[in-house]
Amino acid sequence: MTVKYQSQKIAQYFYTFAVILFLVQVVVGIIAAIQFIRPDIFILNFNTIRTLHINALVVWLLAGLMGATYYVVPEESETEVWSLPLAKLQFWATVGAITLVVLGYIWMGLDPQANSTVMGTQLLNEGREYIEAPRWADALIVVSVLLFLFNMFMTMWKTKKWTGIQGVLLFGLLFLALMYLPGMFYSKNMIKDQFWWWWVIHLWVEGSWEVIAGALLAFMLMKTIGAKREVLEKWMYIEVGLVLFTGILGTGHHYYFIGTPKYWHWIGGFFSSLEPVPLLLMVWDAFRTTREARNVTNKPGLFYTVAHAIFNFVGAGLWGIIHTLPQVNQWTHGTQITTAHGHLAFYGAYVLLVISMIYVTLPAIRGVKDYNPARAYLAFWWMTISMVFIVLTITGAGMVQVYMERLMGLDYVAVKTTYNLWFWILRAIFGVGFLIGVSIFVYDFFMLGKEPAPALRTEEQKA
Amino acid sequence: MSNKAARNLFIFGSLFFFVIFLGLTVDTMNQIDGRAPEITKEIDAGKMAWQKYDCIGCHTILGNGSYFAPDMTKVVERKPAGYLKQFLMDPRGVKPKAAMPKLGLTSQEANDLVAFLTWISKIDTNGWPPKPILAAAAGVAGKPQSRGQQIYQEQGCSACHNINGIGGTSGPELTRVGANGKDVEWHVKHLKDPRSVVPDSAMPPYAGMSDDDLKSLAAYLVTLK
Ligand code: HEM
Ligand code: HEM
Ligand SMILES: [Fe+2]
Repeated sequence: MTVKYQSQKIAQYFYTFAVILFLVQVVVGIIAAIQFIRPDIFILNFNTIRTLHINALVVWLLAGLMGATYYVVPEESETEVWSLPLAKLQFWATVGAITLVVLGYIWMGLDPQANSTVMGTQLLNEGREYIEAPRWADALIVVSVLLFLFNMFMTMWKTKKWTGIQGVLLFGLLFLALMYLPGMFYSKNMIKDQFWWWWVIHLWVEGSWEVIAGALLAFMLMKTIGAKREVLEKWMYIEVGLVLFTGILGTGHHYYFIGTPKYWHWIGGFFSSLEPVPLLLMVWDAFRTTREARNVTNKPGLFYTVAHAIFNFVGAGLWGIIHTLPQVNQWTHGTQITTAHGHLAFYGAYVLLVISMIYVTLPAIRGVKDYNPARAYLAFWWMTISMVFIVLTITGAGMVQVYMERLMGLDYVAVKTTYNLWFWILRAIFGVGFLIGVSIFVYDFFMLGKEPAPALRTEEQKA
Repeated sequence: MSNKAARNLFIFGSLFFFVIFLGLTVDTMNQIDGRAPEITKEIDAGKMAWQKYDCIGCHTILGNGSYFAPDMTKVVERKPAGYLKQFLMDPRGVKPKAAMPKLGLTSQEANDLVAFLTWISKIDTNGWPPKPILAAAAGVAGKPQSRGQQIYQEQGCSACHNINGIGGTSGPELTRVGANGKDVEWHVKHLKDPRSVVPDSAMPPYAGMSDDDLKSLAAYLVTLK
């Protein structure tokens, strides 16, 4: 396997940044988990640790998706990237901006007074979950994304081969970029603040990112088993179409109780209940194409692709639908049930997506024919089993919390510090299991293609 | 269905739903101002302080945020304002076992935050959070309550204090408060003006209660052993 266009190798820069941040995210996640048991264990308070945990997550997933796009668009357009120096500039500028933001979070964590107000906005941390990055950083992020999109559109423009896959991929990315904007202004009114905040969060993970996932799923099935483009693209359109038909109005499932009108109970409840349908269709799509497969060229790549489709459905679809009706959500809203869903959905839908793209494209980027897949599978099982148990423990904690705090009226702190203690301990232990899985994966990422594959080795020995 | 038809369905269908969503957004924006009291300068300053200290990094508000610390939507209904202010400025000074760190809020910022949280509690949230439906069932099943016990509930002491696992954790647990040797007289004095017997107490005074009620309540407390 080897790349058709040299400039596709730029993907590796982004992948490297992504996997390192993945490791950081999980180490920080374990600290956060321990803080549930001992809040004072670390110099930084929980809020800073959590901010680092979820920002690292979002940034590494985005970096991974950008890398994947730098690989896919030249392949589909059949040409080199429009400007490689621009791509490199965009990469280093992004790394620089992210580093500044992280240093800012840590500074503010050590001394909250440093987060002063400059020109009507906070200097280091905006204090809004997921989009904590301050306004100046928002501007830098927008510039970086614009440079990236511009480069990709120019690449497509060179040959004007508009394939369905890259069309949907770039549509998804453009939608993603646009949906960053509603999070970039200050509202005096907390209801409006949260209303627009959900545009960013919900229309990302249940809108644009799922569209990107649909396009990349088609791409990966094509690459790993040579499935037919015609058929793949048709189902892709149907899947991403249904994602948006249900997901856009599904935003209403966040507008039940924040001060917005009651009609959202009907709209949000109805449309968000249908959101799992396209995700189930993707699972079916993956199985259908895999069954027809004659020659699998990249087994770990295919393995992760199918796993991504399944866990996208389980984490986002099943763990989402259980609490999406207003009658249920009024009891579970803002409890550990939400965290359980957040973890399995992000893991299944996007962590596995980026890792699949890495396994599908990295062998070609490194120019290796064959490689030992053992570590790829080992990492998968460590990560997935640990994640499933993390999710089960916090689902359990959520059920106890809903029952005791919401139904019986016990105090939040009493439930957290006594009745749920064992769930926190178990979560931290499974967190270490997850870290082992990530470490194996990251090690494999750096080693892939740099050691002889076992098959080749035996041939050498025979010779 | 041809690929082209599928593509068009995707493009125009998505556009269709997005336009509906935009329409609903406009309508919602028009209604929001009517669903909460007017926003004063103080409330706005409180929101800025909320963001400055990244409170949402531990707490939820309107049910959104982090799940590490209690929800703030109705907190002002559960805790007296004076207590809240003192707690915000120095959590462990008021409640030694508090998990919340001292963030360095100024007195002004604490006032603004209380104003902000008071505004939040008045938002029409379509009834959220709902009243705990099992609380009534879990109460004193059929047993007649003493007058002191009734007053304890009417006054909402359990917002801060805990008896047999029921109630808050802001104040000390009262399950065995009667065992500490304080008599009815001491309790009456303490209830009327906590600081007259516990100098830096964060408990609000209950001077407005009648002497009879104070005595009944105190009598109930000394039975807790
Ligand atoms: C890959 C897709 C998804 C991801 C990554 C995801 C992630 C998340 C996250 C992180 C939150 C918590 C947000 C916060 O911090 O407040 C959340 C909330 C929620 N999600 Fe999802 N989600 C996905 C798909 C879905 C789907 C398909 C459904 C419904 C079928 C759903 C239903 C919900 C609901 C109802 C809440 C609100 C929970 C509450 O009231 O506290 N999600 N989601
Ligand atoms: C070692 C593994 C991990 C541990 C111990 C861990 C721990 C934590 C903790 C303690 C929180 C704070 C929850 C709260 O506020 O109640 C959190 C939040 C979060 N984590 Fe993790 N985490 C881990 C891995 C991951 C992974 C792999 C992902 C992505 C797939 C992830 C995504 C998130 C998200 C999205 C939130 C915000 C939750 C929400 O708003 O619903 N975490 N994590
Ligand atoms: Fe959502």
